Amino acid sequence: PLKHNSELFTLTYGALVTQLCKDYENDEEVNKQLDKMGYNIGVRLIEDFLARSSVGRCHDFRETADVIAKVAFKMYLGITPSVTNWSPAGDEFSLILESNPLVDFVELPDNHSNLVYSSLLCGVLRGALEMVQMAVDVRFAQDTLRGDNVTEIRMKFIKRIEENLPVGDE
Amino acid sequence: MLISFHYTVHTSLDVVEEKISGVGKALADQRELYLGLLYPTEDYKVYGYMTNSKVKFVIVVDSSNTSLRDNEIRSMFRKLHNSFTDVMCNPFYNPGDPIQSKAFDSIVSTMMVQAF
Repeated sequence: PLKHNSELFTLTYGALVTQLCKDYENDEEVNKQLDKMGYNIGVRLIEDFLARSSVGRCHDFRETADVIAKVAFKMYLGITPSVTNWSPAGDEFSLILESNPLVDFVELPDNHSNLVYSSLLCGVLRGALEMVQMAVDVRFAQDTLRGDNVTEIRMKFIKRIEENLPVGDE
Repeated sequence: MLISFHYTVHTSLDVVEEKISGVGKALADQRELYLGLLYPTEDYKVYGYMTNSKVKFVIVVDSSNTSLRDNEIRSMFRKLHNSFTDVMCNPFYNPGDPIQSKAFDSIVSTMMVQAF
């Protein structure tokens, strides 16, 4: 795997977010758009991931969590979040990110307090998992850009998707 | 007090212009970003630094401070330059706007405390 300098990637994502902010002038709407774009990336990225990682089918949600944190995040973002805060039913967990290349150099201005800057990641995870027949809900529970000490992504398993339902772009 | 600083800094910008344009070929060949002591006044010593993108940094030091060495000033400019680069990389920052970055402010404050 080639090692790239991540600044162009970080600046590209930043340009995308600020352009969306100018286009929509509403943080909630920008969050939605980022999530949608992420979804479209996720449904495609999963193929690349499965081909490159040769991970087998996950037997349960715990295995899925480990693969996401230790293989997928490492492969695409160069970071390994930790998996914690499992719900008693085993259907919900948190990914704790100590760092996030998407937000290098970013400081949110005061007028964007509702912006969830890395919303793209929620969509990517949601879209990718949908293609392996899992419907999940992904959201940011904590965000260093908004003053929290760590960034926490909360993932919840909703249901297994039947194979014969068509899945398209959002 | 603040006004006199603004005046000093403004005057020093003229000296920067002189330094980079006036001395002809010899200076133009230099790749030096650090411009050194721009001019000493009664109360202050003013140092300059200019990037290839024509961004100018000015450090104003009390004349009574004789312990600050040239290489310390150079290192302060390097830190400023690096912090400025981080500010520029914030996608919400518009070049030309006054800098309102908490990270930048904290680095500058730390640097000023360390120097004195």
